[in-house]
Amino acid sequence: MDQRPFDRLLVGGMSPLTALILWALVFSIAWRWRPPQPASPSAWVLLIAFGALGACAFWFVYFVHPEPQGFTLWKPTVVYWTLAAIMLIVPPLGGGYPAKIILGNYFVLANREWRWINRGFGLFCILLGCLNLAAASQASYKEWEGFKWSCMVFLLTVVLFRMMFVWLPILAEVSIHLYRRATAAYRYLSSLLSS
Amino acid sequence: MISAERKPDRVAQLVWPGQRSEPVTLAATGKSGGAGEIFSIEGMPGFVAKIYHATTSQAVLAKYRHKIQWMLDHTPALPPIPAEYQDIVQLAWPEALILRRARFVGFAMRKITFDRTLELDYLLNRRQAAQEGFDADYGKLLTVCFNLASLINCLHERRIAIVDLKPMNVKVHKAELYVSILDCDGFHIDTEEFRHDAPQVTPEYLAPEFHDKAVTHPEAQDSFALATIIFRLLNYGIHPFTGVASDHDKYPLELAGRIQQGLYPYGRVAHRSVRKVPASVHEAFPDDLRQLFDRAFAAPAYSRPIVREWVDVLSTYANKRSGQISPCEKGHLRFSDRPCPTCLREALIAGAEVRRRSFVARVRAAPARTLKYVRRTIRHTHSSPFQAALAQAQQFTFRQLAPPPPISTRNAIALEILWISGLLIAFWWAG
Repeated sequence: MDQRPFDRLLVGGMSPLTALILWALVFSIAWRWRPPQPASPSAWVLLIAFGALGACAFWFVYFVHPEPQGFTLWKPTVVYWTLAAIMLIVPPLGGGYPAKIILGNYFVLANREWRWINRGFGLFCILLGCLNLAAASQASYKEWEGFKWSCMVFLLTVVLFRMMFVWLPILAEVSIHLYRRATAAYRYLSSLLSS
Repeated sequence: MISAERKPDRVAQLVWPGQRSEPVTLAATGKSGGAGEIFSIEGMPGFVAKIYHATTSQAVLAKYRHKIQWMLDHTPALPPIPAEYQDIVQLAWPEALILRRARFVGFAMRKITFDRTLELDYLLNRRQAAQEGFDADYGKLLTVCFNLASLINCLHERRIAIVDLKPMNVKVHKAELYVSILDCDGFHIDTEEFRHDAPQVTPEYLAPEFHDKAVTHPEAQDSFALATIIFRLLNYGIHPFTGVASDHDKYPLELAGRIQQGLYPYGRVAHRSVRKVPASVHEAFPDDLRQLFDRAFAAPAYSRPIVREWVDVLSTYANKRSGQISPCEKGHLRFSDRPCPTCLREALIAGAEVRRRSFVARVRAAPARTLKYVRRTIRHTHSSPFQAALAQAQQFTFRQLAPPPPISTRNAIALEILWISGLLIAFWWAG
């Protein structure tokens, strides 16, 4: 049996069409299950910004070869400063606090706390963007790469935070739901076998 | 004459004291022990035969013969029994030698009717005793203790000790409350003209000074084993060295180790490192009994009470006319002027039962409670411990935002899909 199609599916590069189809599938699920409440302005701003950044990433991954080196060095600063801009500009305009969307709403904090968390996040992102430019201009490419990946620790922290307070409860809820379904199925099958 | 259907190895010669002998036929009962097998004797329903295993060497058989012969010649005087109970066998003492082809193979003894008796082991568990037709109460148990102590005391007066004294070797007559001791051929005998050791011991009933060494003072060993049996009989089967240790690492797993280290938690002075098990009712025992238990388990070997002391103390409680045992408000027999141990035990068990039911209920409710907690978390409808702690520490009130409206799991999954998409995009840009 020829295993190559499976190899390609698992380890080969993904064509733009496959990537689009997969993204559309996942996004359609998210759209179908979207909350009935209207999204806050900060959520919309984040959605639009990340939509644009995602489209840009898609363009560079599939259509620009090789990637310009100047752009490579600027990439982290772009995303950090974009986030910082959203965090620092949207709240004064009455759009809510983007940090709440990034961290998750587990902690029901007062506006004052969210404001300061938001500002802290924004300033931290500005700092990271500046540090990235400093490392790109002063250090060797290899050292800059090391710095770039070390900054991923902050991303990981946010992921862990969200995993703990949001994903685990969802996983528990889904597990309970599946357990109930499995129990009902077992009872049904048992009744079929006993009758 | 031997009939044709008789198997030759089942035919034996019974030699009574005075050298009177008669041929008998043995029939297997299926009961077998470490040293020999029990056979019934055809035509003699009141007797059974113990035939040593065929693997027993001639030298050992010769020792056994010597011992059995001495026992035949020195039947001990036993505690008196009323005339109507004369058929009760208190000791499975040898009554005759059994020879096969003129060689010693075993001995005959009076049969203990198992239908009328139950193992002392069963009395350690009231439910088991009830299933065997014995409704245990403190009056009966104290009488059994007294009868056992009296019987052992008679043996000690003849310098005979049991050594391997344990509930399994003792039978109790359900109606008459007299006891019967089995395996008499394993007793320790130490008289001026004859001596025979008893090497068999059971660690759970072995005095601390004889662990890992030979029993040099068999009467002291019997006193310890008797005290242990009495404690267990009166305390619902709880062994005196069963407890709850404060330091689990140093607490021996085996009872033998605890006996060796003297970890007795039921003394009038509490033990420093072991606590009593919650179900124990020893605090309802009278002072003289508790004093004897303390001397038996918590004091040096030389101050351990001898069996005679147990007989003296127990005789008061076993005698109905002494007034030392009286009914409680619920009709259970108890030690006079002491709390009722049966009521105490029932209260402890009821408490344990309530706790057990509560635990089961909590376990059953756990999935629902978890589900509730998860839903509250997803819908943000339960207060944040972080904020509660902050409010408590800082002593000022937050202007609390209204919690976000509740969302379903599907809505939460949709939001997380978007969040993860954003994360992947950020990863590409920053990485």
